[in-house]
Amino acid sequence: MSFFDIVVLFFLANSAVSLTRVIIGPSVVDRMIGLNMTTAGVLAVLVLIAVKQQVPVYLDVALVYDIFGFIGLLAITKYFSDREKSA
Amino acid sequence: MTELLLGLQVIVAIACLWMKKPLAAVILLGAFSLLGALLFYHLDAPDVALTEAAVGAGVTALIFVWFIHRTRGGEHQE
Repeated sequence: MSFFDIVVLFFLANSAVSLTRVIIGPSVVDRMIGLNMTTAGVLAVLVLIAVKQQVPVYLDVALVYDIFGFIGLLAITKYFSDREKSA
Repeated sequence: MTELLLGLQVIVAIACLWMKKPLAAVILLGAFSLLGALLFYHLDAPDVALTEAAVGAGVTALIFVWFIHRTRGGEHQE
């Protein structure tokens, strides 16, 4: 097992633990932060595999997921902000 | 790896159906689409993973959250 495999397994284990928080999290905010951490770990794995296999097309997947995941998270936080303002 | 991702997708989908709050269901739908994108990536289909990431993470979450906001959190109003 090389150093690359150890790093990929570390990030995947990190994502799996964060995914349990997304599933069992008591509040919506817990699930939101858990999904953010899961996405960060998965993005690291995607970039590592793209660099390892020397395929530049694979990097675009990580780039697009990062941009649109940020937009989705921004929509959820804007919803919380508006609800706090109106309540 | 493929079976593991598919099993995780089933678990996340069942959890998404059990959610009481609509916003929690939207967040779990994002986790479902993240696992789907990772599955397509693992199956050597980066273009499909690209579309899944753009539609599942961005557009679907944006439209659903906007809709929940317009319907006042999905709660019944007297």
